[in-house]
Amino acid sequence: MTQVFYVAWRYLAYHRWKTITLVGAITLIVYLPIGLRVLVDQSSRQLTARADATPLLIGAKGSPLELVLNTLYFGSDHPAPTRYAEAMRVTESGLSATIPMYVRFRARGHPIVGTTLDYFDFRGLEVADGRNLAMLGECVLGSRAAESLGAGPGDYVVSSSESVFDIAGVYPLKMRVVGVLEFADSADDDAIFVDVKTAWVIQGLVHGHQDLNRPEAAAGVLGREGNRVIANASVVQYNEITEENLESFHFHGDLSNYPLTAVLVVPPDQRASALLQGRYQSDEDLAQIVTPVAVMEDLLGTILTVERFVVAGAVIVGLATLATAALVFLLSLRLRRRERLTLFKIGGSRLAVASVMASEVVVVLASGALLAAGLTLLTSQFGSLAIRALLRT
Amino acid sequence: MAVEAGVETGAEGSTLLVYTVSYPLAYFAERIGGDLVRVEFPAPPDVDPAFWSPDPETVAAYQRADLILLNGAGYASWTDRVSLPSSRLVATAAGVADRYVVVEDAVTHSHGPAGEHAHGTIAFTTWLDPTIAVEQARAIRDAFSRARPQDEKAFDEGFAELERDLLDLDGRLSEIVAADPARALLASHPVYQYLTARYGLEMRGVHLEPDEPPSRAAWRDLQVVLEEHPARWMLWEAEPLPATASQLRELGIESMVFSPAGNRSADGDYLSVMEANVRRLATAYRGTPER
Repeated sequence: MTQVFYVAWRYLAYHRWKTITLVGAITLIVYLPIGLRVLVDQSSRQLTARADATPLLIGAKGSPLELVLNTLYFGSDHPAPTRYAEAMRVTESGLSATIPMYVRFRARGHPIVGTTLDYFDFRGLEVADGRNLAMLGECVLGSRAAESLGAGPGDYVVSSSESVFDIAGVYPLKMRVVGVLEFADSADDDAIFVDVKTAWVIQGLVHGHQDLNRPEAAAGVLGREGNRVIANASVVQYNEITEENLESFHFHGDLSNYPLTAVLVVPPDQRASALLQGRYQSDEDLAQIVTPVAVMEDLLGTILTVERFVVAGAVIVGLATLATAALVFLLSLRLRRRERLTLFKIGGSRLAVASVMASEVVVVLASGALLAAGLTLLTSQFGSLAIRALLRT
Repeated sequence: MAVEAGVETGAEGSTLLVYTVSYPLAYFAERIGGDLVRVEFPAPPDVDPAFWSPDPETVAAYQRADLILLNGAGYASWTDRVSLPSSRLVATAAGVADRYVVVEDAVTHSHGPAGEHAHGTIAFTTWLDPTIAVEQARAIRDAFSRARPQDEKAFDEGFAELERDLLDLDGRLSEIVAADPARALLASHPVYQYLTARYGLEMRGVHLEPDEPPSRAAWRDLQVVLEEHPARWMLWEAEPLPATASQLRELGIESMVFSPAGNRSADGDYLSVMEANVRRLATAYRGTPER
């Protein structure tokens, strides 16, 4: 039997390009539908698990999918802003606890997630190194963000400008890293967490600057009318929050008008959830309330439909490829008639010659199947990372 | 769950760990919660908690609390510059926001595209109006009951006793002022807005520090005020320097301490400090100490 396989192997090795083409074709035929199935299963599990753990979201009226993807996976497309008043509205109703979310800014490609400490409790995130947020201007890194930025407690992360041409807009803020979170195997691992007020500092809504009553600020003061001091934009504003200038940071305007990308709502029971959803049904309301799991199921429905088409296409292509492979083998048998005669003449039995030919087919099919299994294994291991990367973009 | 100094806190059925930003709130919480709560007010006794800022370690201690009692009305502005769990914050004066006193002479400034804004435009010593203090205590009672429904009855009883004391204080203050509603008073510092609003006091504020001798400009400003507001008593947050008191006496103004009770006092608790305030105010109004 060993000799049979040896002869088959030598033949395949000699015709290596034909063998490689056949094995590659078989691999793709087997891998495409199975790998796609694994990927879809994984994405379904991931998407629904995080959406399942997020009861309700409130955001500005617009695309519910954009709202959910930005809040759950910190996608770079941020929805239109809603107001902090929406969080206050729900809290004051007594129906539910709320967690404000402001996911708009980035630092070296990582999302800056402005929220409150309640988010860490809600997602069960623990600090592995350092401590949690305490003062304005501090940040805590997700485990993969810390690795990618090469930063840990005591280091600094600088927020990115939204646009190089936006000279009057968002200035970079130098934020002190105070902690790194434990690996959570979720979108939180790639994020940079700050207090929502620090996110407003990045936007310039909360800011610190020179005391306008001090002599060093005199150059920036245009005039004084009683208790009113008018200054120009040259007043030095701080781009890092330190112990020395922390006291100078203050809010501009009414807190209720401050922007959020979403309000995460955690009602205690179904009744509170239903009551809250009822309150956002008015057409005049500028905010919408969405159930993330329903939005994700809609998305999954679309993905599954696409998957069905892709699998059907793959099966048809597979059948055609198998037919072509069979033809290749049959034609090959015909072309190798003289080779078989030679084998007979040197004493090979009909069975031995048939075994050599069959072994060649088996080796090609087995190699293709093995490679497909390997690719499927890789997909199951790293598919979740690919899905998360896709969701972030 | 937090375990500190041998007292288990944070778990259902155990002691409720409560942090506050002012002493009056700590006092109210202690009266309402009794042994069922452990109240922490970490500001040092020698500072004004309104302008104190905790270090990151103290902020972390606040973060471990089951409830964090805020005053509201812009008091303890450090809470705007730190990270606290919003689900555990109790804004005790939020229910009486319509009674906030707006400070007319606050400094405003404008620069850049955001436009004009003002700092500290709302007076924050809300507890000096005992009826507002009752509402703040009620908010504390409600927060305690939500956190520990099984102890609601005990919290109700603690609140009822406190409410009685605060309303008694309110009654006595009303009675004192009713004897001479037009009596002119001076406040050495603008901290008595809620007292003024509640009892309709004829009080004008100046800016004098009890531990600093007034400047010449301050004396001149005082003379200007006295010309149109002939007050004979000045309320101080703490005992003024003897020289200042003596110079005021030469102008015909007697000094009287009316402590805002913003921090723990060596002279007693919130109620006893307020009762001493009432007795001294009675002197100003009637010339004799109140009963």
